[in-house]
Amino acid sequence: MRKNALSGLMQSKVTWAVIAELLILLVCFVIRPDFFSISYQPSTGMLYGSLIDIINRSAEITIISMGMTLVIALGGTDLSVGALVAVAGAIALKFLRWDVLTYTTPGDYTVYPYVLVLVVPLVVCALMGLFNGFLVAKGGIQPIIATLILMVCGRGVAQILTDGKQFTTGYSPFRVIGQGSFLYLPMPIIITIIVVVAVALFTRKTAFGAFVESVGVNRSASRLSGIKAGTVILIVFMITGLLSGIAGLIYSSRIMSNDSNNAGLNFEMDAILAVVIGGTNMAGGRFSLAGTVIGSLIIRTIVTFVYYFGIVSEATMAFKALIIAVVIVLQSEPVREYFARRARRSEAA
Amino acid sequence: MQENILEMTGITMQFPGVKALDNVNFSLRAGEIHSLLGENGAGKSTLIKCLTGVNHMDAGKILLDGREIRPSSPREAIEEGISTVFQEVNLCPNLSVAENIFVGRQPMKHGQINWHEINSRASELMSRFHLDIDVTRPLSYYSTAIQQMTSIARAVDIQAKILILDEPTSSLDENEVQLLFNVMRDLKSEGIGIIFITHFLDQIYAVSDRMTILRNGHLVGTYDINELSKVELVTKMVGKDMDVIFNLKRADVKPDAEYMLKAEHIGDASHINDISITLKKGELIGFAGLLGSGRTETAEMLFGASKTVKGDIYLDGEKLTLNQPFDAIKANIAFCPEDRKRDGIIGDLSIRENIMLAVQSRKGFMKPMTFQEQTDLANKYIKLLGIATPDCEKKAGELSGGNQQKVILARWMAAQPKVLILDEPTRGIDIGAKAEIQRLMLEMCGSGVSVIFISSELDEIIRCSNRIIIMRDREKVAEVDGENCTQQDILKIIAEGAA
Amino acid sequence: MKKQSLLTRITNPKYIMVYATIMIFLVIYAFGAFMYADKGFMTVRTFVNLFIDNAYYGISAVGMTMVLITGGIDLSVGAVASLTGMFIAYGTSVLGLHPLTCIAAALVMGVGLGLLMGWVIHYLNVPAFITTLTGMFFARGVCSLISRESIDIHHPMIDSLASWKIYLMKFSNGSWVKIKPIAFINFNVLLFVIMIIIGTFILQKTRFGRNIYAIGGNEQSAALMGLPVGRTKVLVYGFNGLCSVLAGLSYALYVKSGWNLSLQGGELEVITCAVIGGTLLTGGVGYMIGTLFGVLLKSVIPALITFNGNLLSWWGKIATGLLLLLFICIQSFVVSSSSRKNK
Repeated sequence: MRKNALSGLMQSKVTWAVIAELLILLVCFVIRPDFFSISYQPSTGMLYGSLIDIINRSAEITIISMGMTLVIALGGTDLSVGALVAVAGAIALKFLRWDVLTYTTPGDYTVYPYVLVLVVPLVVCALMGLFNGFLVAKGGIQPIIATLILMVCGRGVAQILTDGKQFTTGYSPFRVIGQGSFLYLPMPIIITIIVVVAVALFTRKTAFGAFVESVGVNRSASRLSGIKAGTVILIVFMITGLLSGIAGLIYSSRIMSNDSNNAGLNFEMDAILAVVIGGTNMAGGRFSLAGTVIGSLIIRTIVTFVYYFGIVSEATMAFKALIIAVVIVLQSEPVREYFARRARRSEAA
Repeated sequence: MQENILEMTGITMQFPGVKALDNVNFSLRAGEIHSLLGENGAGKSTLIKCLTGVNHMDAGKILLDGREIRPSSPREAIEEGISTVFQEVNLCPNLSVAENIFVGRQPMKHGQINWHEINSRASELMSRFHLDIDVTRPLSYYSTAIQQMTSIARAVDIQAKILILDEPTSSLDENEVQLLFNVMRDLKSEGIGIIFITHFLDQIYAVSDRMTILRNGHLVGTYDINELSKVELVTKMVGKDMDVIFNLKRADVKPDAEYMLKAEHIGDASHINDISITLKKGELIGFAGLLGSGRTETAEMLFGASKTVKGDIYLDGEKLTLNQPFDAIKANIAFCPEDRKRDGIIGDLSIRENIMLAVQSRKGFMKPMTFQEQTDLANKYIKLLGIATPDCEKKAGELSGGNQQKVILARWMAAQPKVLILDEPTRGIDIGAKAEIQRLMLEMCGSGVSVIFISSELDEIIRCSNRIIIMRDREKVAEVDGENCTQQDILKIIAEGAA
Repeated sequence: MKKQSLLTRITNPKYIMVYATIMIFLVIYAFGAFMYADKGFMTVRTFVNLFIDNAYYGISAVGMTMVLITGGIDLSVGAVASLTGMFIAYGTSVLGLHPLTCIAAALVMGVGLGLLMGWVIHYLNVPAFITTLTGMFFARGVCSLISRESIDIHHPMIDSLASWKIYLMKFSNGSWVKIKPIAFINFNVLLFVIMIIIGTFILQKTRFGRNIYAIGGNEQSAALMGLPVGRTKVLVYGFNGLCSVLAGLSYALYVKSGWNLSLQGGELEVITCAVIGGTLLTGGVGYMIGTLFGVLLKSVIPALITFNGNLLSWWGKIATGLLLLLFICIQSFVVSSSSRKNK
């Protein structure tokens, strides 16, 4: 009994995500025929164009949602990622400016070695991720509550680190992270590609991905099959923390400043949405990194799309909601089953 | 001849790939206890679910009191007067015992729930089962037996025309079963029709008037209780003679075989105090005893699933430290847990992944098996164990119970253990698959694996074991030779304690 | 029937979390009283202000508690409350409508959105988190579509509602006088208390309320017991929509303006109140009285920080986080010890 191809395809959530993305792009193209044009700007050495912009601007969410995919595959959610973005930015700027009373004007300098500026935020974020993982794995606490703690107090920590002040910097090596370019592409795109490839290799070229899925479906049975479920959970949350740190560095490099109140605001929501639109079930189990990347692109494309209608930026949320609602309803179980049934029937006929 | 209150004709129900019920007829008279029999997967539960609106049948007709009904949800079935105790306890653990009995139909006073009446009526109901408990405590506070009694009390109190009891006795002790039977007889004399499903043949003969047998979704027939003997009944359920299926030979252990596993005076943090076990190479020992006698707890210690706080465990002469299952797997000990659904099968993953899991977890995730290696491994065991599946990519959760058990067995056979512990590997699967699993077990013994076999079914244990360890009240009370003992001997030890 | 003594009824293990909340509130309050008695922490006014400054969170927490008990979650409450404020502000100040018309429109919007989300969650099987997140984006977006600027509310009815208050009096020297320092109860506090009472009644005294608990305990069992699972879930989200609108009204009276970005992150404040009030996010457990003290407990922290005067406000976030951690540890301890009894 072979599963027939069409109904299988109609049942896959990723299929629907790809169709949705293509449709939105198509509409963009109809409205703005120059939508797909990409031009080269010799002065900055970068390519420009709407598509490039979409990928560039989605970098932070894509990076975070790589970790979020694994967390959701475990059957959990990580609410703290947005707060960690703020923490990473705060630490980086703290090291760049240290004591604002002594270093009164921002300029092309760093007080502490650049290595610390990059490494310490990542280490701290990874440790905070580990803290989340510890509560979940050893404390047996539901991920959504465990990560709520850092979500609530993470921004407070960021503010304490910088004394509640907003620092700015002009240190050019730091600017490269968010605004530089490499191989004609904006640096965030390069970082995103590296992260996506690294996570994909780590999960799919080792058995780690299979272990994550197994623990996500049935933790008790996985443990009795010899999987160290606790370790798997710790690693996943640590990865998510680390990736939030990377996203935080990109974010603060874009604005060359720290913003403990608004950096990474609602990133956890966007990342979770990206994962779910990408076809990973919130109950845990099978995950699709490719789907998540598409999900993240969909979210960003919608924003760009709405912008083309000339709608103010905050109001894009309403349209974002409407389009996401359509995608989610199309992906919902009853609707997919309906289409799959119809596909089966038409194939039988 | 009494009148039928329920008439089900031509019931057909299709699941993807299988016909769960094929043109089944069933009738129930007022004031009778009617047993529904068949092996797992025969379609008993599916038939009940069609009647109670959980599943929607593809064809057929249900007449209740001569009127056609078509319940589309359990709610509608209850409104039609069909009250059900479903197979697994289906109550809300967070609500009190009293509330579980009355939720959805609470007595009201002045537009408010009358808590006083709920609690007093619940206490009354529970005392009918000789249970004097605080009914205002949450259900989760009480044992499974009390939970099961609560769900029975709820179903009884609904005052339905038809009462369905799907395996209501699985966690009740003998006294509680008798109490339940008394209640059933009372209800019967009130003219209520009762459908009774159970695996225990004695209970069927103790209480029913008629029985209907299903096999593979087909109706075998409906008989008066005196019409069939037990042996005839089993033959009709299985479709083959019993002796033919169970033509097994005990493992052949050489008298000079070395000891594979030795546990000396081990105990865990809460239940077990002092148990010693020896197991020779290629030997099969059985653990007999009632539920809660410490069988499972001992097995879990040997596997590192629960912590051993005293005593020592030796494998092949080497002392083991077992902090987690991983350590045991590293040492080549394997364990098939009792609760297949909760602790065994990983339903959403494919058969391939389920089979390769133990091998892979022993290697650690940094040394992955290739896809081809996994597929080869899975296919090898699918063939060896005769797992019924189109290919190894099918979700393990979609297999029947017996095939799921084989997948778990395959997981551990693939890990090539020295010691294999099987906790109730044959529970809830049909007789054919049971026999096959026992055959596989003995084959593994033949190839030098030592097996510990835990089962509630004594005939199984006696049939397969070289030695039998009898447990009672979390202690090892006796060790008997498998070849020269009878069911009566063991029962006596379980009941009285002395060897 | 076994006679239930008051003692066994009170010591029922299901109330442990509520007691923990009340205890910790009392401890922190006593601590404040001990440290800042000279600054007036002990006065009735300080206590009443806890209600006045947080009534809108409390009103929303009533609905949220019910949603959480079913095992769901609603992230849209802050945005819907904000949208209500926009409706009132834009309607009265720009369109010149009567505030009652605006409130009615907001009610239709809020309850309608709630019912719709409940329907999608139950019948389309979309996770509550995602559905209500979309609802939040939608409501926030509509806020910004209406206006991106803060709009002041000037309307005689709103003004009189906002300034309506009952002074707390005491009897001295043969006549009633206002207590000093002056303390009063306003419309928001009244609404909060009424909603808590209504919530308690629904949860404890109606079949609908008990169905909510049953669904949170085990949704599949609830369906097999013949309870109207779908209808109950949809109505719970609808009721939560109602609470969000009332919270929005209360917030509009409190700040007398509507702003598209107001109450951002409010949903998490509300969820935090419920969780430290003893409601389990896994569903099935929660009490209105716990939620009431959860709101007070959460609001006593900023009050303490204000009284201290030297601490910066972000310590409040950290303290709330630590409080959450404490409660989660207590909860997981209670849950694991009660399930151990089972074995």
